Amino acid sequence: MASASRGWAEPGTFADSVAPVLEHNCSKCHGATKQKAGLRLDSNAAVLRGSDDGQVVKPGDAGGSELFRRITLPPADDDFMPSGDRPPLSPAEILVLESWIAAGAPSTAAFEVARPGLAVVEPPAAPDYRPRLAEATALARTLGVRLVPRSRVPTDGLVLRTASAPANCDDEVLAKLAPIADLIVEAELARTRVTDRGMEAVGRWANLVSIDLTHTAVTSDGIARLTTLARLESLNLTSTKVDSRGLALVRKLPALREVWAFGTP
Amino acid sequence: MPGTPSDSAHHCSDHGGEHPTVLDLPYVPLSLKREWLEAETRRHFLARGSKALAWAGLATLLGRSAPHLLADTAALPDRRPLFAPKAKRAIYLFMAGAPSQFETWDYKPKLAGMFAQNLPESVRGGQVLTGMTASQAGLPIAPSFYKFAQQGKSGTWVSELFPWTGKVVDDICLIKSLYTEAINHEPAILTMTTGNMFPGKPSLGSWLAYGLGAINEELPTFVVMTSKIPIKENVQALSNRLWSSGFLSPEYSAVALRSGSEPVLYLQDPKGVGRDVRRSMIDGVNELNQQLFERVGDPEINTRISQYEMAFRMQTSVPELNDFSDEPASTWDLYGPKAKEPGTFAYNCLMARRLAERGVRFTQVFLRTWDNHTKLPAHIRVMCEDSDRPTYGLITDLKRRGMLDDTLVIWGGEFGRTVYSQGKLEADNYGRDHHPRCFSMWMCGAGTKPGMTYGETDDFSYNIVKDPVHVRDLHATILHQFGFNHNKLTFKFQGLDQKLTGVLPARVIREVLA
Repeated sequence: MASASRGWAEPGTFADSVAPVLEHNCSKCHGATKQKAGLRLDSNAAVLRGSDDGQVVKPGDAGGSELFRRITLPPADDDFMPSGDRPPLSPAEILVLESWIAAGAPSTAAFEVARPGLAVVEPPAAPDYRPRLAEATALARTLGVRLVPRSRVPTDGLVLRTASAPANCDDEVLAKLAPIADLIVEAELARTRVTDRGMEAVGRWANLVSIDLTHTAVTSDGIARLTTLARLESLNLTSTKVDSRGLALVRKLPALREVWAFGTP
Repeated sequence: MPGTPSDSAHHCSDHGGEHPTVLDLPYVPLSLKREWLEAETRRHFLARGSKALAWAGLATLLGRSAPHLLADTAALPDRRPLFAPKAKRAIYLFMAGAPSQFETWDYKPKLAGMFAQNLPESVRGGQVLTGMTASQAGLPIAPSFYKFAQQGKSGTWVSELFPWTGKVVDDICLIKSLYTEAINHEPAILTMTTGNMFPGKPSLGSWLAYGLGAINEELPTFVVMTSKIPIKENVQALSNRLWSSGFLSPEYSAVALRSGSEPVLYLQDPKGVGRDVRRSMIDGVNELNQQLFERVGDPEINTRISQYEMAFRMQTSVPELNDFSDEPASTWDLYGPKAKEPGTFAYNCLMARRLAERGVRFTQVFLRTWDNHTKLPAHIRVMCEDSDRPTYGLITDLKRRGMLDDTLVIWGGEFGRTVYSQGKLEADNYGRDHHPRCFSMWMCGAGTKPGMTYGETDDFSYNIVKDPVHVRDLHATILHQFGFNHNKLTFKFQGLDQKLTGVLPARVIREVLA
């Protein structure tokens, strides 16, 4: 779980800071209507009472609290909460709960709520796709490509997928993706009709981590337009016309870990 | 809605003479009828919506005929993985018949000094043997006829039968401690492919197709190929039970590709039938199927509609797939000369790469006749000669094309073989019986730990002494690489949230993941 570094702190109370987080993330299963595992999380007293299995919050010890453990597990873990398809808590929400427990889980007294700083240890791959997923899907459909979430984690970004109809995707399409470009994390462009001109647009996809240009007409001139991609880690140039000049250019990419150039001049 | 009373006088008191629907059937619980009715209403709304769109000339924009859209609205799982996956696709090289671990991956040097000694009772621990060796006078230890040497930076012990695979051993994650319950081929191979030794469960590839959907909608999501048999003796049967979708919708079953000029039979249009004629024929059939679906509400009808559509799309995607003329000369150097002969394991490995390249999620290549009860030294040499170079070729080819990062390659059979000889033991000839308590497999790519060896067996490769991995643990690990928690990829059937790994606890083997 990405943990945010502490930026600043502000005062909060259970009612102002903690209750809204619990209400938003937990109340469907641990509230007035349903109490899975006998646990209610809709009042300070109920949280401290715990579940059928015992205490879930150890005042003063966030790391030793079952509630905190469960929300910070890898989402794939069986014990991870929230369960089902519900998204994980945001780093800021986790910090609220962590600060409250660390402060002794006070019921009414104010405590210091840590707020995430600007720098986070593991920044999200992209902005939350949820508010814009419908827009992205509609745009993709119009353009004859697909934009699919990489995962259920809303900040994992989208994959630009073209394998069903690579011929649909050309430089025009890349330019028209501009409104949602910050959501694209992976671009699967193998066998498409994109050229160097299209790389102009791609060079502005600030959150792009991987791009596959296999079997496209892209040359070193196109690669020159990608050097702005600060987060690009993986670049597949198999069977393109990119030559040694282009491969020298990719050295400028600060995050690049892998580049493939099989079948190039 | 069906059930609009007709004007003609109809004499039955309970309906107006229209076609029967689910609502008319006796013994159907009211709750189910209500569910069907709700789905039906929703579907009708969509049907009208899409027809209206078609009238507005927008259908072409959507790129699909209206019936297909409807098929897509059938209950689908949330196609997003739980977390960002390492693997986008997998190629499973299934060594059917169960290769002996002694000559391949589980080096047992101490056995050399125990030639023909009887297997100590303490090692066997009272295990019941198969009928094939239970009545033997003795259980003489048969050391491997083949030598081993350490290879690569990892220093993994590699058999001399794998001169090619040995070159890429640093890319491989070897697991020597797999085990299963089944001691005979059919239940064991079903366990391996579907997680359960009884037929009827969905296979691994079907679960992935169901959970993830297609990357390329022009090709099947799950493809199976069987290879020409290198040995004409003791051949095990394969059946489509191994790649069936079980209780999942049949559209998640594998498409079994044949080798040669026609990978899918009857895919070509008859002479004189153009693409447009074929399209309108399929539209007509879909329309009829749609009417039937509206009447009886059986979701299998939607499957049929989508299968017609898939066949139509494969009419253009498969010929391109099957045309190897775009392969560079270096391809044939990698996979070896046999890759030019359709149907060989080498050819299928190359085809598997082409499928992966085009976005097929899961390709399973079966190679049979590893079931060496007799003449093992001679036969296993033939098996390895047939498969070693193409296996190396596939890994190397994926790697140089940048595909090994997100393609998981899996190699292995359904169980192991016995340390003792089945039948007469000679210096250069012996056989080995089935052995479920331990066997070796390997994985490669897609976030598995390269150059690793995991798990240990005892000096007789009879029992696991460290880090056992059940088949369901392997399955959980594979699903994990695709972004799924094996406990959460489920399908409700017979009152249970069914899953690939079954009801016993399974564990993702995190130690083998990079």
